[in-house]
Amino acid sequence: MLPVHSVSHPHSNAEVIRFTDVTKRFGENVTALDSVSAEFQPNRITVLLGLSGSGKSTLLRHINGLQRPSAGEITTLGTRVDLAGTGQLRRLRRDVAMIFQHFNLVGSMTVLENVCTGRLGSLRGPRMGLFMFPRTLRAEAMEQLARVGLADKAFQRADTLSGGQQQRVAIARALIQRPKVLLADEPVASLDPVSSASVIDLLTRISHEENLTVVCSLHQVEIALGFSDRILGLQGGRVVLDEETADISPEDAYSIYDRVANPASVADESRFEAALS
Amino acid sequence: MSVTATLPRSEEPSNFTPPEKPAPPAQNVAVTVVLLLVLVAAVWSVIDLRINLATFIDSFHNAIAFVSRIFPLDFPPFLEIVRMTVQTLAIVVVATVLAVVISIPLALLAAANTTPGGTSRTFGRVAIVIARAIPDLIFAVILFRIFGLGALPGILALAFHSVGMVGKLYADAIESIDEGPVEAIRASGGSRAQQIISGVFPQVMPQFIATALHRFDINLRTSVILGYVGVVGIGLEISNAMRTMNYDRGVALALVVLVLCIITELISGSIRAKLMGHEEAKKKGAYGLAFRIADAFSQGWVSSSRTRSTPGPDGHTPQTMPDGAVRTSPPWTLERMRRSAYLGLVLVVLAVSTLVSDISFGSIVDGLRDLPQTLSLFWPPSAGDMLGDLVHGMIVTLQIGLAATLLGAVISVPIGVLAARNAAPNPSVHKFFRITIVAVRALPDLILAIIFIVITGLGPVAGTLALAIGSIGLLSKLLADSIEETDERVQEAIRANGATRSQVFFASTLRQSFPAFVAHVLYQLDSNIRAATLLGIVGAGGIGFYLMGASRVMSFDVVTFIIIMILVVVLLVEALSVWTRKVIR
Repeated sequence: MLPVHSVSHPHSNAEVIRFTDVTKRFGENVTALDSVSAEFQPNRITVLLGLSGSGKSTLLRHINGLQRPSAGEITTLGTRVDLAGTGQLRRLRRDVAMIFQHFNLVGSMTVLENVCTGRLGSLRGPRMGLFMFPRTLRAEAMEQLARVGLADKAFQRADTLSGGQQQRVAIARALIQRPKVLLADEPVASLDPVSSASVIDLLTRISHEENLTVVCSLHQVEIALGFSDRILGLQGGRVVLDEETADISPEDAYSIYDRVANPASVADESRFEAALS
Repeated sequence: MSVTATLPRSEEPSNFTPPEKPAPPAQNVAVTVVLLLVLVAAVWSVIDLRINLATFIDSFHNAIAFVSRIFPLDFPPFLEIVRMTVQTLAIVVVATVLAVVISIPLALLAAANTTPGGTSRTFGRVAIVIARAIPDLIFAVILFRIFGLGALPGILALAFHSVGMVGKLYADAIESIDEGPVEAIRASGGSRAQQIISGVFPQVMPQFIATALHRFDINLRTSVILGYVGVVGIGLEISNAMRTMNYDRGVALALVVLVLCIITELISGSIRAKLMGHEEAKKKGAYGLAFRIADAFSQGWVSSSRTRSTPGPDGHTPQTMPDGAVRTSPPWTLERMRRSAYLGLVLVVLAVSTLVSDISFGSIVDGLRDLPQTLSLFWPPSAGDMLGDLVHGMIVTLQIGLAATLLGAVISVPIGVLAARNAAPNPSVHKFFRITIVAVRALPDLILAIIFIVITGLGPVAGTLALAIGSIGLLSKLLADSIEETDERVQEAIRANGATRSQVFFASTLRQSFPAFVAHVLYQLDSNIRAATLLGIVGAGGIGFYLMGASRVMSFDVVTFIIIMILVVVLLVEALSVWTRKVIR
């Protein structure tokens, strides 16, 4: 196992997200997160690297409270996620956008309607339906679609688009939230290299344009090195690497994938995956 | 199979010991015994109900007389037919829509991924199971007492019982959605209601509509039978005609029902196939022509997902309207217009149906006001002084169900085998029997029952034969389907060993599809016993006849007694059938 590098954080007082000793267990034997402590500074792109089952997704999903910790404290944008009630979480999530490995669009709805669903959290009353998005919201959705280069596909069903296009629609859906934080869970794991590159380029561009704090989980070390400001390596639910990308050598980054040194963690991971499936 | 059975025992050091045959699990023994008992009971039923050649020969003269009495058919004036048809359809439309309206919230409660909690889930599931367990006939008898004659009791009876099927299938559909979009809405702060409306509904909508259409077909058939207890429409007219022995009129109206059933089934089948994305195989002949017409009619309902494309500017400029504003709704393409037109048509049909079915809201208020008093008529249950008759009636109903299932199963084996593509001697045989099955399935139980009542007289033989033919239709279709799904490689392996055609068939094909067939037969037994209670009211024998009589002379305590008897039997049979199917699968 790698030593945990201690890093001096330039903005350590102004962190957007803070994890303090967060542990997440599934059942009795599976520990997905094991006393994780980490901070995420504003306007920076952090990539989480690690194998399947290393705890990347679990960590991401604790940031917006899609999962709750078994122990420890999480603060996102000033909200204590581990303690927050339903209403508080919903308010927090309006400011925290998320994109997913499988895009998670409603295939039978149009692209435009899918983008509009990003703002449901801010809509109230009867306006929560299929056809009842306000005209101003629709216009804004069209602008966000133009931004990701898909305005011409606005009235097509979402399932007629290619994977890369669907992920760009998901990014437009995230943008229409006008978020402060963007969480990306394996955004390119289901895409071919060309689509991956265009999605990563788009993510980089909008992150800088919108001053987003980005936390993104990835499998590919090369993409992480080119895309991030900081890399957080996870192994068996523990943080084993935390470095500025500029300071990191590819060998360090790849060593996260070195499982031979610790066969016990392999067994842990397969149990974890079994528990999830 | 236990592992130890295959190991040589330690106290016998010889190098070969045949592994001891493992004792079959107790459950399997129990199922075998139960199945044998059911078989014996079914054979006894066939004998006891005198379903044999002699009965048919005796009935031969009746059949001749029947034919002479129904010809020429006496059709009512055309406008009269249209009026009855519209009335029947209106009631069925309203009932089905009501069933959907009740089923959606229940399904949301019952589905694991949308339920707010354990208690609500139990409530939803129990409500759906109860709705399925209580036959529509029983709902109808009780509701007619509460709300008086008219359309309302029939609508409510059909709707309540439909919830049992519609709610179950809706909950299944909700449970099998892709959770991704729902999670995406949750992650952006959407409420539970928003997750359901924008994440769940768009995914399940095709399935919801398809299920409703399927139920519409079933309700149409049932509503005609319920005409015998007073549900207005064609069924009521048939019941009046048969009661006054105007067989020429009754059979003419039954033909109208048959045509109506075929038309609605073609249309709804075609819409369903499109909704669920199946491409229907090309059909030929008159049936094919009807299907193509239905197909053309249903074309506008469903947009195929691949044809829509909106030519616009490039991806980086928002589309604009002629006045320069950003376009926010899809352009009015021909297809969108057609879709909107069909949506409008549906709304008009709904409105017209509600008007035509003539629900009197006064009777709702009156009925509810008198509800406690009415219900007190039904309580306490009493067998009157005819306990023996009632028990006998119940036994006859069971016999009808058993005998019909046995006859249906026996006859459907050769038909099903010959209809299977991979078991039929040649393609023409396969096609001939497939078409036969489709034709048999198109015949509503009611019409068969009416025909057999006239031929064999009032009584259980008519009900048994009607249900047997219905069972042949379904069982032979399911058998043919499951034979076609068997693993061809096994057959090939046996053929490669030099087995003859029939050896291949018995050793592999039949063996593979047998457990599924037994399961289908048990399911059919379950539904035949329910149907036997229902057909009793048209005079096809059994407990339904007594239920009808008791309700007509207003002995509501006896009605309650009979209802409880039917419920207990139906639930027991269903429990038995569910358990057996679980073990043999």
